[in-house]
Amino acid sequence: MTMRGRILTSPPVTVLLVALAWLAVVPLFNIEPRYLPPLGDVYAEAVKLWPDLLAGFWRTFLETFIGFIAGALIGIGFGTAFAYVRLLERAFFPIFVALQSVPVIAFGAIVVIWFGNTILAKVVIALYLAFFPVAVNTLRGLSGVNPGRAALLSSFGASNWQSFLMLALPSAAPVIMTGLKLGISLSLAGAIVGEWFGDTVGLGVLLLQALYFEQVTRVWVLIIACGLLGALLYGALSLIERRYVWWQFD
Amino acid sequence: MGFVMMMKHVMSGLAAGLMMASAMIGATGSAAAAEKVSVRLKWVAQAQFAGIYVAKAKGFYEAAGLDVTVNPGGPNINAATLVASGSDTFGVVSGTEGMLNARASDLPLVCIAMSQQKTPYAYVTYDDSGINSVKDFKGKSVATWFTGTQYTLFSVLAHEGIPQSDVQIVSQPFSMQPFIDRQYQVATVTLYNELNTLREQGINNIKLFRPDDSGVTTQQDAIVTSERMIKEKPEIVQSFLNATLKGWKYAFQHKAEAVDIVLAAGSGLERKHQELMLDEIENLMTAGVAKTEGLGAIDMASIEKVQASLIKFGGLKGPVDLKATFDQSFWNKVPADDKKL
Repeated sequence: MTMRGRILTSPPVTVLLVALAWLAVVPLFNIEPRYLPPLGDVYAEAVKLWPDLLAGFWRTFLETFIGFIAGALIGIGFGTAFAYVRLLERAFFPIFVALQSVPVIAFGAIVVIWFGNTILAKVVIALYLAFFPVAVNTLRGLSGVNPGRAALLSSFGASNWQSFLMLALPSAAPVIMTGLKLGISLSLAGAIVGEWFGDTVGLGVLLLQALYFEQVTRVWVLIIACGLLGALLYGALSLIERRYVWWQFD
Repeated sequence: MGFVMMMKHVMSGLAAGLMMASAMIGATGSAAAAEKVSVRLKWVAQAQFAGIYVAKAKGFYEAAGLDVTVNPGGPNINAATLVASGSDTFGVVSGTEGMLNARASDLPLVCIAMSQQKTPYAYVTYDDSGINSVKDFKGKSVATWFTGTQYTLFSVLAHEGIPQSDVQIVSQPFSMQPFIDRQYQVATVTLYNELNTLREQGINNIKLFRPDDSGVTTQQDAIVTSERMIKEKPEIVQSFLNATLKGWKYAFQHKAEAVDIVLAAGSGLERKHQELMLDEIENLMTAGVAKTEGLGAIDMASIEKVQASLIKFGGLKGPVDLKATFDQSFWNKVPADDKKL
């Protein structure tokens, strides 16, 4: 790609272009604020909401982050166990699939009864949504290890553990990263939905109130805030991927 | 430094230490005596629940020996279930129809007071819709919330002698946008929120039909607890109710302060919205039997009427034990000073 092409497609430039389009389109087509408020209004609303917005952003970030880390660890754990112990896979995998097809709303009352209105309740929902794609991708990544390479390593006298660390895990890593990137977006959705089970701080709470009071401009502020949080988390993961998991096995 | 001086220092140090220690014991002592309870609201922090936040902020609960945690609700949880299961001690949940239905499905939930004395819902339609009375709902699409509010609509239709099958009843989201876009002809509003938001958006070409005009008065925002609490800790139930009603009375007497307290309890709330809401909540809570008897009074006559109409059109299988569902004994014992207007 040429230098110019690269600059034009870099994220900040894209954001700028979208902002410019927003600035132009609203007066041009005389769009009613109910459908799309002017960007200036959205900015003013964000400034007005700033302290609450900041507190909400931080709180939702924490819920997402903790839930994601816990979900990722559990997901990788189960995925690995499933890959090596077929019996476990046969016994538990169907249960996981069944659990995943139950909408998270259905667990609402249970989560609140178990964990109350604590941050833990939101973390658990974020975890619950994140762990499944991680587990599935870990299982898929580990099952896809080239058997020829595995045989070669063991012929050199590598132990199971060595072969796991040196071959299986590295070759599964790109697939696991895909699972993690799916998981982080789901974690954010989980944290926001979790806040709808009753709380006073968080982007989800602000969003709920804005919807309830029909504050359309504020809804847009929160859409941008949620999008920003999601992009930051996803971007951080991509950065880690590019730096540490840059290889791609066949 | 002389010996006497030193002793003085030691003694005053000791005395200060002792005082601190006794203060700490006192503090932990009273904290241990304070009963830990929680109250689950039917929605997030807002002026609809001002009395509870005021009772907490002004120390009414503490003075009554209660350590109250206020748990906000939301669209994803059923406050009635949480109180019935004992997960929360008290709740501000549903209303007349909701209580009847909860008892019909054997939830051990008991209403000890009713906050709103008049039906807080109303049906709105545009001036040009050709609908001039509830009778004109026939053949039209009418939206309502299926969170318990649908029973009020069912009662209204029953009272007006309109079969439900003659009306196209649709589920309403908690946004008024579809009504603004005229996706249905009639929508449900609460007088303390959606009606305000419609007017704020400059939508004034609407007319209102109030259930009370159709002879349906349903009380809303029931203050509830579980059967178990009533059996095991009736004194805690009494203390909670006394302090809560005292909080409401204070809120109406000091509305600006009450709004301050609500704003501090939530996040991202607008003062103007909350002021309007508190005004309307005051109208609803000080109407009907509350005018003569006091805040939180349970209007048994209207409950019996609602039950009869629910049974008539199949919204309720059969009569429930009203005495057990609506326990007036606690409300009767609330000091007049705390509830009388």
